[in-house]
Amino acid sequence: MVIEWEGGHRSSYSGDRLRWACPCAECRGEAGAPGRLARLKSLDQAELRVQNVVLVGQYALQIAFDSGHSTGLYTFTMLRAMCDCPECEARRSAP
Amino acid sequence: MQSRYMVRYAVPVTSQSMSPTPQQVLDVLAKIQDPDLGRDVVSLGMIKELDVSPQGKVSFTFELTTPACPVRDRFKTQAQDLVGDIPGVSGVEVRMTANVRPAFMRPKPSEILPGVKQTIAVASGKGGVGKSTVAVNIAAALRKAGADVGLLDADIYGPSVPAMTGSHTVPEQVNGQLKPIDAHGLKVMSFGHIYPGDQPTIYRGPMVGKAIEAMMMQVDWGRLDYLVIDLPPGTGDASLTLAQAVPLTGVAIVCTPQDVATDIAVKALQMFRKLNVTPLGLIENMSWYVCPSCGHRHEIFSHGGAEAAAQRLGVPFLGAVPLEESIREDADKGVPVVISRPESAGAKAFVEIASQVAARTSIQSFRQLPVINVR
Repeated sequence: MVIEWEGGHRSSYSGDRLRWACPCAECRGEAGAPGRLARLKSLDQAELRVQNVVLVGQYALQIAFDSGHSTGLYTFTMLRAMCDCPECEARRSAP
Repeated sequence: MQSRYMVRYAVPVTSQSMSPTPQQVLDVLAKIQDPDLGRDVVSLGMIKELDVSPQGKVSFTFELTTPACPVRDRFKTQAQDLVGDIPGVSGVEVRMTANVRPAFMRPKPSEILPGVKQTIAVASGKGGVGKSTVAVNIAAALRKAGADVGLLDADIYGPSVPAMTGSHTVPEQVNGQLKPIDAHGLKVMSFGHIYPGDQPTIYRGPMVGKAIEAMMMQVDWGRLDYLVIDLPPGTGDASLTLAQAVPLTGVAIVCTPQDVATDIAVKALQMFRKLNVTPLGLIENMSWYVCPSCGHRHEIFSHGGAEAAAQRLGVPFLGAVPLEESIREDADKGVPVVISRPESAGAKAFVEIASQVAARTSIQSFRQLPVINVR
């Protein structure tokens, strides 16, 4: 998935990275209990392939995977912070 | 013979050589800056159908981004003066029009409200601050300015828009879609139309979300420049559903001046910020009261609280509305005060606020949302 931001910057994300970053309660856990992703070491291919992306208002994307998992709302703030291009990595590691 | 020929044609020939080129006209018009959009009106594409006659008569259309433009008259005078000062110009005709542009330069219209160019939410956080009154009057003021306006009452539990607009008919259903009610030239839809009378709506949260979605998707809104959405108080289901279901152009927050109200208004504003909905600004309602017997101005709920909060949060202050008996009386009669008493202080305040809202909304038309591609 590729996002071109309002300022022109481009970020790309693999399905794999997005799936492991899923912010939903089932994956992250809630009320102190660990979520599904904390218990698992690996996921099937179907879990990692992006099937569809829906805009939620104007603050987030709802990403659906081939496995049918689609409860995660990825906010733009989160996605922007996840950008791992060399330029963004360098900015983050700068003091 | 020779000399007569010269005399007959000398004047038009000279004036033709002196009449300015269209580029010269655009160059001077480019000196006019749009204060809200921060760019000149030529590069914003507001100058259309420019024509310069050989006699030096210049005519063009000045297309504003909203009919409720707060600087409409200033733009017209500026354009006339600047073009009139170009040597060789014998007359200037400026046609002022407006074309509301859709928010966010979207490649395709939104699926949920396809014909609606701008969606403006009116929220407050706290109840009883006059949110519906403000929403109804902003909508009516935009309509009076010449825009096509809809008004959606998203307050499922306490719908007050039917009473305030004097619309008590049950909406007709055509091809599985509800027709909005026409009230004072506005297209209105409220849960109070669907379930009239004194029966309460007893819904849990998820049902509220469904009801609001239905009022957007199952209502034939048609083509609208602005859809004003009157939100219920609170930062829960209704506001969240709305912020998730449609790309809102922005949200105007209403509060009364006292701390108890501004503190909650700030919470509402921060909620919308978290959801990436642009705050259009704060509106102070019940800002002052002029006593009809002594003529003295009383500040019953204090004064200036919203302006101070707006400054603190770095959002625009859109204006203050006085506490007037006429606003309440006319609302109870079902006529917005901007229509019933346009000369009153309250009506003037609403008109000014509506044009501020429209101006802030126009800014959003020039924003490009992130583009997402999946491969």
